[in-house]
Amino acid sequence: MFSFELFTQALLAGIVIGVIYALMALGITFIYSIVKMINWAMGEFYMLGSYAQYLIVAYWLGPDLWYIAAILSAATVFFAGWLIEPILIKPMFTGGIERRDDYATVVTIALLLLLRNLATAISGPYQRTPGTNLPGVMLGPLPESGARFAAFLAALAAIALFTLLLKRTWLGLALRATSQSRVGAQTSGVDVLSLDKLAFGIGVGLAGLAGALLAPVFMVYPTNGVVTTTKGFEIIVIGGLGSVPGALVAGVALGIAESLGATFIASAYQNAYGFVLLLLVLALRPSGLFGERLRQA
Amino acid sequence: MKYTSRVAAFAMLLLASLVTPPVQAQEPVTIGLVVPLSPPGDPTAGQLIRRGAELALDYYNGKGGVLGGRKLQLSVQDSQGRPEGGVAAYRRVVGEDKAVAVTGFFHSSVNIAANEVAKSIGVPTIGTQTSAADITAKHYEIAFRTHLIDPLRVAAWLEFMQKKGFKRVSMLAETSDYGIGLVTETDRQIKEKKLPIELQSLTFDRTSTDLTPQLLQVKAFRPDLLVNVGVGAPMDLMIEQAATLAITPQVPMLVSYDAPIRPQFWQLHPNTGDKLYFIAYYSPKQTLSEIGTWFTKAYEEKYKESPVYSSLNGFGDVAIIAQAVEQAKGADPKAIIQTLETGKFAFWSSGEVTFPKADGVFWHNFSPPVLILQFQKPGQDWKEAEVMFESGK
Amino acid sequence: MSGIAPILEARRLSKRFGGFLANDAIDLSVEAGEIRGIIGPNGAGKSTLVNLITGVHQPSAGDVLLAGESLVGRKPHEIARKGLVRSFQVSRVFGNLSVIENLLASHLADARMRETHGQGFAKATRLLELTGLIRLADAPAKTLSGGQRVLLQAAAGFMMPSLTCYLLDEPFAGVNPVIKDQLIALIEEESRARGVTFVIVSHEMAVMRRLCRKITVLIEGRVVVEGSLDDVAARADVVAAYLGKSLV
Repeated sequence: MFSFELFTQALLAGIVIGVIYALMALGITFIYSIVKMINWAMGEFYMLGSYAQYLIVAYWLGPDLWYIAAILSAATVFFAGWLIEPILIKPMFTGGIERRDDYATVVTIALLLLLRNLATAISGPYQRTPGTNLPGVMLGPLPESGARFAAFLAALAAIALFTLLLKRTWLGLALRATSQSRVGAQTSGVDVLSLDKLAFGIGVGLAGLAGALLAPVFMVYPTNGVVTTTKGFEIIVIGGLGSVPGALVAGVALGIAESLGATFIASAYQNAYGFVLLLLVLALRPSGLFGERLRQA
Repeated sequence: MKYTSRVAAFAMLLLASLVTPPVQAQEPVTIGLVVPLSPPGDPTAGQLIRRGAELALDYYNGKGGVLGGRKLQLSVQDSQGRPEGGVAAYRRVVGEDKAVAVTGFFHSSVNIAANEVAKSIGVPTIGTQTSAADITAKHYEIAFRTHLIDPLRVAAWLEFMQKKGFKRVSMLAETSDYGIGLVTETDRQIKEKKLPIELQSLTFDRTSTDLTPQLLQVKAFRPDLLVNVGVGAPMDLMIEQAATLAITPQVPMLVSYDAPIRPQFWQLHPNTGDKLYFIAYYSPKQTLSEIGTWFTKAYEEKYKESPVYSSLNGFGDVAIIAQAVEQAKGADPKAIIQTLETGKFAFWSSGEVTFPKADGVFWHNFSPPVLILQFQKPGQDWKEAEVMFESGK
Repeated sequence: MSGIAPILEARRLSKRFGGFLANDAIDLSVEAGEIRGIIGPNGAGKSTLVNLITGVHQPSAGDVLLAGESLVGRKPHEIARKGLVRSFQVSRVFGNLSVIENLLASHLADARMRETHGQGFAKATRLLELTGLIRLADAPAKTLSGGQRVLLQAAAGFMMPSLTCYLLDEPFAGVNPVIKDQLIALIEEESRARGVTFVIVSHEMAVMRRLCRKITVLIEGRVVVEGSLDDVAARADVVAAYLGKSLV
């Protein structure tokens, strides 16, 4: 059933969802590069962001001020991460813990279960949506919902801003230095432990922003973060752990692979095309598209 | 003599145990409830079924329990909508909590998997909202069901399509036993009945949140009707995304189950739910049984909203088990199976429920009537939705 | 004792790793503006001493004072901000940062200094000129040669706004003569111009003779002697510790 129109539509849809995936993955890769841990509860911070958006839009600002709500939601999630880090993550470095990876895995999975069950207990399992008044748009031959297109643009803007923060500010320089060498940064006088707190907050804040932007598109319910976690991990493996351009390129590649695969090969295996891409990348470049083969001293 | 005194003491003890009522008389009777409370299952359905089941407990315990004073209690386990989760849940309620019968099943694949284990353990199951043929078509002694089965659901919507003159139909189904079962059955009946319907069937993974690739193919097919065979979040996402791609409302959508009657439906789909067709198993215009009437009142009082089919059936199934325990005069699973096969039970709907050893998929099966409703305007209360079709009429 | 108060002092400093006493009651007193050398055979506890002083490890006993203030219990970044800076035996440059960013990273540590971006930039440029790395200023540090990395790392320490005392751990190991000379020039320049105090751990006796008037010899975790290089090299126990080889 190949037609040029269908191909263009599928390609465009893949790019749009791919950029959104990239935003979901960015926080995981960022937290890893600074704090050197995998945050398995990332999807739950996406979920928190979506609930924050729902509450702020539905009970306070209304759907027309969605962008202010999204900023507030992301800030809320940032703050939650900033509060949680010293309690759960910091002991990894100060508590004399020997197997840090195991510790991080156990702690973040526990956090995942806690947040998910808390959401179910407080809000019930129902799907909710903050609603949207954004009119639909036409991307060439592809009709796109206003909310999704807005999420796409906002994701691009967030990724650009985040890159600027890293490249152009003192904080960015400190973050990049810390991601290269924690000890080196410490001897340069960087307070690595408080930077961890900030980095964890920013990382989960990015996931929260994705959750807020996508709340009217993919709805709000206690387990809506599962996609963030699975796609996020696929993307960071494809793009290379710790790489911002890697997350963007891999996100778009994943979006396109899923969209074209589901449209022209078999729609039932939509989630499998990403894994095929992942295996391919692992076979050809085990450290990912933009990953470094070895950590530089 | 020491020896004789010991024998005497033993004999006394034996006698005493015969005359005094068994200690476990006041022990509660446990009913297992295996429901999806977390994804990839549909937690909304799980909660609704649980609400109904809990009110059935209130009803019977309020009347003093069963078997002359034994209270009923529930052992609730989360199946997560996954077959292995369902099997584990079944084992737990039966093994650890000694449930005498297990109900609450919502996902067909969970029910099917649990039945394979139940077959050897011997504690019966009642499918609450599972529709795949295999659940009863395998003719297992332990397998019962009180839900609309695939062939009847499919027959109903094919009849509806005929009536409406829909010739090109797209079915977008999740890759679960439920989704695949309905696609296969629809295809089979179209061929068998030689209906003039061209069917496009597409499937998607239940964990997908973006159905754009599938819907683009639907759009290219230009159907007269799109059948939405998603359960839970995918069903809601399909409603939104089909509207985004400008498929609906030009192409009407039929939702394969009664999700649109849930209280949050219009909150989720303020602009996209209008003119939607959906399968329903209950309409408030129906006359209910005595316990059904008690239930709707109790439910409205407790939850400040009208009950839906999931809750009604969750209530009904626990009520059936309670009646079966009473009629069997004991909590032995074997006796309960026997009683279910031969007895007559009150349900939420009017009329009596029986589980005859009938042919094929109709084995141990009770099917409530099937309706197709349609919203007439945005925000319409489902109780006012137009009845567009009713099976058997 | 001369009348000048010591800038850096270790008092009965000890570190035990399991059953091994890496540092055994070390007393060390370095005067402000001094260039002190520390030598000793492999395993004498030199790096442990540096790690104890800079807060990487916590001492089992004893105290470390910078300008009379105890550093024990302080975190490494706090010690660095107080002006006690160190370099590492294995270079710790930030490979993905540019050469000049590597320098600026040390300047930013103190939040108050962020206001003076221009000053930091000027200082970094001057250091790059001194070390001959200026034409590589915008290259990623991972493209530098091993020797250039050593230079860069040493230079980064000078960027610390509050620098008063600089601990260099084997700065000359595996470095070619040209870069060695540049590094020596840098140390002499900073010592003369800013009065920075240096503690240099090294095996390079020729360099130590040139830079340090006073040498501390560490053997098996203890200070055995202090004095000029020629004095300490004449001691029988020092010669024996170096497996009978003459030190000089």
